[in-house]
Amino acid sequence: MDQLDILKQNWQSQTSDAPRFTKDQLGALLAKRSSSIVKRLFIIAVIEFAFFIVLGMASHLHNQNSDIDVIGQMGKLFYYGSSLLHYVVIFIFIYLFYQNYKNISTSQPTRSLMDTILKTRRTMTWYIWYNLTYMMVVGMIATVIIIPKDPEIIKLMATPKMAGHETAFYLMVLGASFVVFLIVCIIMYLIYLLIYGILLRKLKRNYHELKRMEV
Amino acid sequence: MSKELEEEFVKQLDDNQNIVHKICRLYTNDQHAHNDLFQEVTVQLWRAYPKFRGDAKFSTWMYRVALNTAITLYRKSTRRVKTQDYESVQFKIADRQEEDEQMEQLTLLYGAVKQLNDIEKALVFLYLEDKNYREISETMGISEVNARVKMNRIKTKLTNIINP
Repeated sequence: MDQLDILKQNWQSQTSDAPRFTKDQLGALLAKRSSSIVKRLFIIAVIEFAFFIVLGMASHLHNQNSDIDVIGQMGKLFYYGSSLLHYVVIFIFIYLFYQNYKNISTSQPTRSLMDTILKTRRTMTWYIWYNLTYMMVVGMIATVIIIPKDPEIIKLMATPKMAGHETAFYLMVLGASFVVFLIVCIIMYLIYLLIYGILLRKLKRNYHELKRMEV
Repeated sequence: MSKELEEEFVKQLDDNQNIVHKICRLYTNDQHAHNDLFQEVTVQLWRAYPKFRGDAKFSTWMYRVALNTAITLYRKSTRRVKTQDYESVQFKIADRQEEDEQMEQLTLLYGAVKQLNDIEKALVFLYLEDKNYREISETMGISEVNARVKMNRIKTKLTNIINP
């Protein structure tokens, strides 16, 4: 007989000094809040959704009160059209997240539970990538459209030392905004790595352990 | 949720709370962590209870939710123990004469199981609870063959832990 079967024979006789809970204590436990990783994923997702929605609102407010007529220069159709599209996409992400989140059930087999949790997290990764790309594309387009029309820039371009260097100047501005964008991306990526890395470290380890069994 | 449902749930949980305690003992190393995990398992069970339709036995359903909570949802990672620092686990041994020797062996075995990783612990737990390979494979979401192969590997691993 192997070792484990010796333990198995005595397994049900297992006792411990630790007290059993009374029915009242069990009833009281039902009211407690969950501190599971799923709860935390949900909180992080809500913060992420709120963050980019608020950021969008703030930028609209800023553009409306700005001295430079950003909306007019970009064209109302483009400005409002792209904003509307942006919020539709955010809404689609909220819907996708909610669908995935709803599918997380502790009653399913461990393997599929892990799959659903990781899928939910991937939705949020895509959400972040979408927002960063959106900010870059809109930022670049705004740079191209607005800068040549900006009174300050026009004045600067009229100075003799800038003559003949217009294209180089615009390319430099585009290049600089791309670098800023890249830095923001890297910072976001690192924050992400940290938050989800800590949160899902254990899950990933166990997920790989389960997957390893299938080889 | 209604009062009756709550009472019904608490009764079922009370009848089966030993299962949850056994899982908590296996996955945590001190009483505080034990209670913390027990609380999370209870919250998860209660949350999933309205969808439990009684098509499986309460205890079978409970194994799944409780193990999933310990392996996947529970945030804190258990510190691996080299020596068993949670010594309160005892076994009732029928044979008085061999009691001491057998107790020592069982403690050693239990300590070895505690050194396994989360997934291995889950398989061993279900095995010790006398679940067959079909049930083990359904709970974990792996194939029956893989469950069997893994179990044999775990047995070898345990032997190696006990006789290094």
